[in-house]
Amino acid sequence: MSLVAEAFVSQIAGKVPFIHVGNQVVSELGPIVQFVKAKGHSLSDGLDEVQKAEMKAYMELVNNMLLTAELYLQWCDEATVGEITHARYGSPYPWPLNHILAYQKQWEVKRKMKAIGWGNKTLDQVLEDVDQCCQALSQRLGTQPYFFNKQPTELDALVFGHLYTILTTQLTNDELSEKVKNYSNLLAFCRRIEQHYFGKVSSSIRLS
Amino acid sequence: MAAPMELFCWAGGWGLPSVDLDSLAVLTYARFTGAPLKVHKITNPWRSPSGTLPALQTSHGEVISVPHKIITHLRKEKYNADYDLSARQGADTLAFMSLLEEKLLPVLIHTFWVDAKNYVEVTRKWYAEAMPFPLNFFLPGRMQRQHVERLQLLCGEHRPEEEEELEKELYQEARECLTLLSQRLGSQKFFFGDAPASLDAFVFSYLALLQQAKLPSGKLQAHLRGLHNLCAYCTHILSLYFPWEGAEVPPPRQTPANPETEEEPYRRRNQILSVLAGLAAMAGYALLSGIVSIQRAPPARAPRTRALGMAEEVEEE
Repeated sequence: MSLVAEAFVSQIAGKVPFIHVGNQVVSELGPIVQFVKAKGHSLSDGLDEVQKAEMKAYMELVNNMLLTAELYLQWCDEATVGEITHARYGSPYPWPLNHILAYQKQWEVKRKMKAIGWGNKTLDQVLEDVDQCCQALSQRLGTQPYFFNKQPTELDALVFGHLYTILTTQLTNDELSEKVKNYSNLLAFCRRIEQHYFGKVSSSIRLS
Repeated sequence: MAAPMELFCWAGGWGLPSVDLDSLAVLTYARFTGAPLKVHKITNPWRSPSGTLPALQTSHGEVISVPHKIITHLRKEKYNADYDLSARQGADTLAFMSLLEEKLLPVLIHTFWVDAKNYVEVTRKWYAEAMPFPLNFFLPGRMQRQHVERLQLLCGEHRPEEEEELEKELYQEARECLTLLSQRLGSQKFFFGDAPASLDAFVFSYLALLQQAKLPSGKLQAHLRGLHNLCAYCTHILSLYFPWEGAEVPPPRQTPANPETEEEPYRRRNQILSVLAGLAAMAGYALLSGIVSIQRAPPARAPRTRALGMAEEVEEE
């Protein structure tokens, strides 16, 4: 049911996530951050120029690798597509529209993959890229509580969002979440944020 | 002894060792590491072993054409510019490469291949002049279509009215990206200290193209020129690793001038052939449509009115 709602809402607003303030609707992470900054709240004010550059670069890394890998797994891995994605994507629509739109989206995503050079990658290569990305993030995090030491920044929010989703979404194969679980400091990072900001007990991050 | 590795890449121009982004990055990396490559600078992608440029032919005959894979192969062959980097610096490399690909690459493609003025006066001109006949007629156009498609896929489909806004946004992000790179470089010689790494090869290829090409419509160029440390960085690498490119005359190094002179007889032959073909076409048309007709002198004409026959005979002789 929640998936239907998500699909429905994303058709209306165009993109999730979005915030609704007064009569303004702002969608996607970048613009939301800018909007909040304009209101006087910014997480990265305490950073110097070099750190800001690094933060932006790591955010791009996450977008480039993790986001694309998630997209790949959702739309280019036949097992996942057949079992989960098609049904989920087409759920708000009646037959035969659900099949047609799902296939169209899949074709679109495959084209995009080809344009960025991921068209010929196998699942193993994609998983290796994810591993590299996680390794980079893990090394950058080190033993610090957050990426830029004491205070969380936009980068922490972005990384948490992606990693949490990977760790808690059930897919046909668990290899993606296994790759993330290899890095204990990333796991600890996710758990810490979940406890601190969302107040839940961390049993939602499965350890298996 | 295995055959040496051979690198096929686009030829140089505009004061650079190569006009193509990927070829330039690979060449620069090879120079940084001192890899013994036999470099073939060609202007005909069909003559490369994989059909595209750049392409690396390894000592075992295998052909690699994705730039990142070429660099990975060089690393495996022990030509590794990132050997001395710490794990954290390696992570930074990945992050900054993603930044380049997401923010600078679309704008670079736009500047050279989509912006009408730049494309016609600089890019297409260079490719059309450099490529051999008859490729120069259709290949630049094909390359442009491929780049435009790639750009559209990278940025998502947009309606025409939104394009101007999208363009502004793209350039805005690219300017930000350049500023970030400048801040990260600071006053260092290279991004990770005194020795160049693979990140330097990629950053250099992007910046050098923007800096050196004489673009009529260079919005990003103006911004780059304002970032003095980046300009100095480019010039430093050019003078250190590609000292003779400024003169635009590469001395006969590992590449013998053969690929160039081989083209010469073909070019002449093609020109003569095309002229002959043109003449043959004209003559054939003339004969077939009766403007000109060849008649053997007949021994006896069919009886006709004398006057008309005389007139015709006179005409035809």
